[in-house]
Formats: sequence, C-alpha cells, structure tokens
Amino acid sequence: MFTPSGISMRVTLAAISLCVLGSVPAAAAPKPLADKSAAPRPSGDLAAWKKALEGSDEEQALAALDAIEHADDGRAAPLVDSLLSRGASSKVLLRAIAVAGSLGKEPSSAVLAPYVQHRAAEVRRAAAQSLKRTRGDAAVQALRLALRSNDAALRGTAAAGLGALGAKEAVPDLFAVLPRETPEAAGAIGTLCVAAECKKFLGLLGKLPFDVMQSGFLPLLLRTGSDVTDQTKIELIEQLRRLATKSANEVLATALASYPANGSPKVKAALDAALHGHSVGGDE
Amino acid sequence: MSSLRSVTLLGLACAAAGCGANAANSGSAFNTSWQNDSGRSISALEARLRPLPPAPNAALAVAVADDGLHGLSLDGKAHWFHPGQPKSLPFIAGRLVIDAEGDEIVALDGTTGAKVWSTASRGLALRGAASDGTRSALVLANGEHSLFLGISGSGATLCSIDSKATLGVPAARGGVAFVPWSNQYVSAIELSGGEETARLLTREQVSRAMNYGGAIYFGEKGLIRFDEKIRYASTNQATHIGLPPLALPGKPDFLGSGFVSSSAETNARAKIRIYAAPTTDAAGALTLGGGTFAATYFHVVFGLAAASGKLAWVRALPADIVGGAAASSGFALCDTAGKLRLLDSAGTEVGSQDFGVKVRSCVIDTGTEPVTNGARPSPLSAQIGEALDRLEPDMAEAERYLIAELGKLQDPAVTKTLIDLSSSPRIPPELRSETRRLLALRKTGTEYMLAALARHYDFVSGVLLPPPVGPLADALADSGEERAGPLLAKHLNDPANSADDVAHAARALVKLATLREYEDLRTFFSLYRATADDEALVSAVVASAEALLRVGGEPGRAVVEHAADDPLTQADIRRALPALLSKPSAGTDGKASTGRADGAASSKTATENPGQR
Repeated sequence: MFTPSGISMRVTLAAISLCVLGSVPAAAAPKPLADKSAAPRPSGDLAAWKKALEGSDEEQALAALDAIEHADDGRAAPLVDSLLSRGASSKVLLRAIAVAGSLGKEPSSAVLAPYVQHRAAEVRRAAAQSLKRTRGDAAVQALRLALRSNDAALRGTAAAGLGALGAKEAVPDLFAVLPRETPEAAGAIGTLCVAAECKKFLGLLGKLPFDVMQSGFLPLLLRTGSDVTDQTKIELIEQLRRLATKSANEVLATALASYPANGSPKVKAALDAALHGHSVGGDE
Repeated sequence: MSSLRSVTLLGLACAAAGCGANAANSGSAFNTSWQNDSGRSISALEARLRPLPPAPNAALAVAVADDGLHGLSLDGKAHWFHPGQPKSLPFIAGRLVIDAEGDEIVALDGTTGAKVWSTASRGLALRGAASDGTRSALVLANGEHSLFLGISGSGATLCSIDSKATLGVPAARGGVAFVPWSNQYVSAIELSGGEETARLLTREQVSRAMNYGGAIYFGEKGLIRFDEKIRYASTNQATHIGLPPLALPGKPDFLGSGFVSSSAETNARAKIRIYAAPTTDAAGALTLGGGTFAATYFHVVFGLAAASGKLAWVRALPADIVGGAAASSGFALCDTAGKLRLLDSAGTEVGSQDFGVKVRSCVIDTGTEPVTNGARPSPLSAQIGEALDRLEPDMAEAERYLIAELGKLQDPAVTKTLIDLSSSPRIPPELRSETRRLLALRKTGTEYMLAALARHYDFVSGVLLPPPVGPLADALADSGEERAGPLLAKHLNDPANSADDVAHAARALVKLATLREYEDLRTFFSLYRATADDEALVSAVVASAEALLRVGGEPGRAVVEHAADDPLTQADIRRALPALLSKPSAGTDGKASTGRADGAASSKTATENPGQR
C-alpha cells in the first residue's frame, strides 16, 4: 500500500487547482519550478493520483499526470497504464502517453502499443515516441508495425525508435522503407546492420539521394565491435571521398573528430587519409 | 389487276423506253401509290429465284487507310493495295469491292484489287452497292434525292432510276436488286431493265438489304429472310430474327440506318457496333451464328448469347475495333492498328493477319465458312477481370457494364475479382463503390473473402490499399461465417481502414464475435469511446460495445459500464450505452459465459489488466 507524502500531495493539489480554476489550459500546466534532478523526488501520492486518473474530471487527470511526470515516480506507471488501457479524451491520452514514455517502464509498452495504430495521427506519433523510451519486445513489435503505416512521420519515428532499441530483426523492413519517404531508416540501418546488410547499404550510395542516406553514415563508421568489419567502413570512407562533396567531407570530418577511443586505428587512419584526399580503397 | 401489276406494266413500258441500253430513268419504281398486294408479288419473285445458286460472298476484309484501300482475303492468300482517297466506306459486293473515289464509283476485283469498272458518281454519295455475281446495283444519294443504278459486269449503266424517296442499301440476286426505302418497303428492281417486279411491305423498320451466306435478308434492327414465308411479312409472319433486349455500353446499333451514306473516316459509331450473322440451324430455324453475336465498344468485344443477350465472353483488344463481321460461327474484326483477328464463337482468337498500315475504317465479308474453334477460354469471371485490367479510366461505361455482369455470376471466383477491383487504384471511385456494393451481396467465395481479410495495408510490402473490409464484413455476417471474427477484429484497430469500413466490421462482430475477439474489441472500444470524432466511428464504437457485452462476460460488461458512467465518453456513445446495458441478453450470451469460464488466457487478460474493473 502506498502512502502519499505531504510534499507530493501539495504539488499535485497545486497543479490540480490551477487546472480546475481554468487560469491555465491543462495542456500548458505549469512545469515544475524546481530542477528535477536537484529537487527531492516526491513520492507516495499514488492514492491521490489513482483517484484523479480514475475520476471523471479531465482537468484533475491532467494535473495528476503532470504531477506524476514531475515526481518521476515509476510506481505510478501502472496507474498511467491503467488509464491508457481504459481510454480517455484525446487531451488526456496525449498527456498520458507522454508521461508513460517519460517514466520509461517496460510494462507500459504493452498498453502503449495499440496507440501506434490510433486513427489520430498525433496520438499514434506520440505513442511511437514513448515506446522508444519504454523499450522491450512489445515496443519493438509495435514500432515494426508502425513502420508499415501510411503515415510518413510515424514511419520516421518508428525507424529511429527501432534503431535506438537495437531491433536488428527490423533491418530488412528498414531497407524496404528507406527509399520511400522514410530517410530516418538510414540512421537505424547504420546503427543495426550486420555484414552483408552493411554492404547492401553502401551499395545504395549513388542510387539514393545523399541526404536520404546521410544519417546512416556516422553511426556505421563509429560502430565498434565485430558486426561491421573495418573493410566495410573503409569502403564507405572511400566512397564518400570519391563523392568529393561538401556534405560527404563533413561526414568524414565529423567521424574523425568523434571517433571512439576504442575504435579501429586502421579505420581512423583511413578517415584521416581520405580527408587529405588520399585513396583508401586500394584500387586506384 | 393488282396495283403492283399495273406498276410493273408501267415499269416495263418505261424500261423499254429508257432502261437497258439507253439507261434512262424508268420513272415507275418506288411509286408511293402502290397498294398492298398481300405478299403475292414478292412471293412470286422468291419462287422464281429459289432454284438459283446462292449469290457468292467474298471472304474478304478491306481496310481504308490514309493511302488507299488494302484488301486481305480471310484465308490469307491474297493481300492487295489500291491507292486512292476513298470518299465512302467500301462495299464488298459479291466478288467486287465498290467505293467512291473523286467523282467516280469504282469497282475493284476483290481478289486482286484490280479496277474492274467505274462510273460517274453524278455528284452523289455512295449509299450502297451489291452484286449478283454478274451485275451490280448501286444506290447513290444526297439529301434531296436518290439514284438507283443497274450496272453491267463491264460497268455499263443498265438502268437508272431517280427517286425522291430515300433509298437504302441494296442487295442483289439473280438479276434482281432489292432496294429498301421509306422504312417499310423493299422494291425488287430488274437490274437489266429497271422495272419493279415485286415489292415487299414489312411491319418493321427496313433500310438495308444484305446477302449473307447466299441468302437475302432485309431489315435494320432485326432481319427478315427472303424465303418461302416472305409473303407473310406484312403480317409479321415472315422468317425473322432479332436481337434480345440489350443494355450495352454505347448503345450499339445492329446494322444501323441504311439511309445514311457511310463515311470512310473513323468515328465513334464505327467502334460501337453489333456483329451478328443470320444462320439456319439444324432444325431449319433462323438463328444467330454459333448461338452468339458480338458487340464492340472501342477496343472491347463482348460476346453475347443470341437468345438472351447474356454476356458469354469478353475480350479487351490492344486497339480500337473499326470494322468487322460475324461468320456463320465466330467473328472477324479489324482494328486501328491494322490487325485483322479471327475469334471463334467463344471469343478465342484463332488467327490474325496484318494489313501493314494504320486503319481508319474497315469492312469484312466473312463468306459462309465458320471460324474454326480454338482453345477453351478461361471462365467468364476471369475474362471480365482481365478485360477490366486493360481498360483505361475513359472506358468507364464498359467497366460499369462488366462489373454489373460480374455481379450476376455465382462463380466463387467472381468474389475474388470483385475483391481485387475494390482494392484497385485503377478503378474510378464510383465504380469501386459499385464493386463494393456487389461484394456485400456475395453468397459464394467465402475462402476468397477470408483470404482478403487476412491482408492489411502494409507500406513495407507494398500493399497500399486495404481490402474492402466493409462489404466483406456484411457478406460474411450474412452467411454467419464465424471464421471471419478474428480477422474482422484485427481490422477494427487498423487505421488504414475507413471509419465506414470499421463500422461495418464492428456490426458484423456483433453477430460473429467470440471470446477470442474480446481483446481486440476491448482495445478498440477503449481507444475510441472518448475520441470518436465522426458518425461512422461512433457507430463502430457502439457496435463494439454490443459485441463486448455479448462475448465479454463480466469484464466486458464492466468496460462498457465504466464508459457509460464516464463523462469523458463521447456524448453520442454515452447516450447509446444504457440501452445496450439494459438488454436482457447483454452479457449473458451462452458462448461468452462458456468462453469466460473456459478461456483461461482471456480471463487472465480481463481480470489482470489494470484497465478492467
């Protein structure tokens, strides 16, 4: 059983009062004054939040959601999930989806998942954003489903989310959407591709516009580990060098500047050589 | 003395004076003071001509191109070219091809294209031409008068009859020309003398006479055969064949009016035609060749049952059809691309030839030979599907006709075709609505419906139109197909479906849902009970509540009760819920109770999910 603390209850009630009085729209409820990291984390308002979230007053529900987000209290995640499961007005739903994402609890992914298929674009896009933060298999599955949507913005968010969640199984789907108004897929492919997939990505350079592929180059070049060979990275470096465009050079320069300390010296040397105009492909 | 005999005697007198070698106007034919002779004169003429061998047909196609006439024998043995600028559509008259060029009427040998004779056109347009194998009959006309000419085999004018009457397209046999006029008469004119030896009075519109397979026919919308029953034509008891009532695209004519001189230029009417051949069946009855006739609408050919007019087959050809003819069985058609195609009576293409030029218009005489039957064609439903695939948006009238025909077929494959059409971006929206309407009425093809419902919009795999969920839901609900339940439930929560389709799916689930669909129903209800923003979606949410109450047991009822109490629930939905909750059957459905008790997984979902009360 949770016992609301006096501090957090005061914060909640203050927020609720503001909304009920109508002086500030609920969606623009005042943000917490204190820095989240510095302020003592309020806790123990679960009963009040539960009452507000299960009640019939939209303003109170919004205020409670604000308070939960401010408190950053993971114990409140089931309350938010419960609200999402029951359904609510669009205003409350959007806020609840954002708060669930903010709390970042993996079980929330299951209740967020249906919302990526909501008929309202803003709702489904918000759900995809939050799923990126709640993570887990349900999140990956929901984002893969979102990648199949006719909503380009949703696909972009889903692609980025799949990259962030390390969903390597989604790479074939990411390739399918990359040339079709989903440039965010490039970043995910650069992050997730393995061996032949990375080669396939390199093969698209010159076939797809540079700006469609651009977000995938840095993640690929800066990856450590054995999924991407040095040879593949050096091939990419050489291809970018041969483009001899400002954008390509910027990619190389950024990669060199941010090259990880544990990265391959060979690749780092290739970046340096390419930036000085030297071939690194060995076939010139 | 009968009045015809009087006319005949007058004609003979005139012929002696002016026809034959002198080629003067007889002045006696086409007399409007003629009295009905109850078929005696035409019957006597029929008896006189009956022993003669049939007048020959040429089995020839003649195309009008920019550079002149191109002839192709249907057996492929002859291909000739006659340079010139034809002013009229040519007529295949026995073994001659007769057309107007410059100030002349020119007759060509149908086998070689060589010029046989010519005669002055006298400033008139060529309305029709015929040959009995030796002599020819010409009808020339302008808006004010018509001129009948009897022409010898060498081109000499045998007789000339100028008439204020509007004359139609003639036929000829045994030295006699048959000339329709005044919509109800056919005058039989002796080609050598110009006298009218008999007259036929019909009670149906007649503007054309024609020689088909050696027999002579008269008519325009239907045909009367010149046989031993011809004397009864005035009482509608002659041997007659007509077309069944038709509602074809473009409303094509069978023969078209013979009182209009045809142009050599391409026009839309030339592409919208009916081709039907009168033939005698084994029992001696007059029928249409092979039991079918054909209608064209630009580049589409419809094969129709002779008796009923029902669509029997359809082909969409690559180019517009500008001429053709029916054989005793099968059809010959030529198109603007210069292709001459032979189709059997089932519409299978069994041969083709090429004129080698673009064609403006074309005439064909098929002779008496049937077109050899080809391979058995695919089912009509598949043919319609293929034809629709080849139709452009401006062929909406043909598409509408084909879709309507499709709806009449019980073949389960029709359901698949309707599903494909309903999901096709190539079909105009109003026709897509019609395919959806027909689909909702289907009683067959359940497996196709279920397979279609298993599909969803999928950007990744390129499925860019959802299936027609609404009509499928209606059809499957009508048939009580419970296998549709899970598939329809998945579509509730797919935003690619229209709200209207979702509403139909939800209504179908009121009947078809089982406990398996509980979770999808609950998700849909929860997501939209407070966010539904249009009428269809509101209707869908209310229907999903009804389904939840039927299959969801206590958890389902709790979900609906909460929504009914919650002021945030959309107003119309909230107003509708109490009535559902008060229904005695709500939540007491036998399946739901059983399912709730036995369905561990669903019970767990319903009781452990924090969203449930």
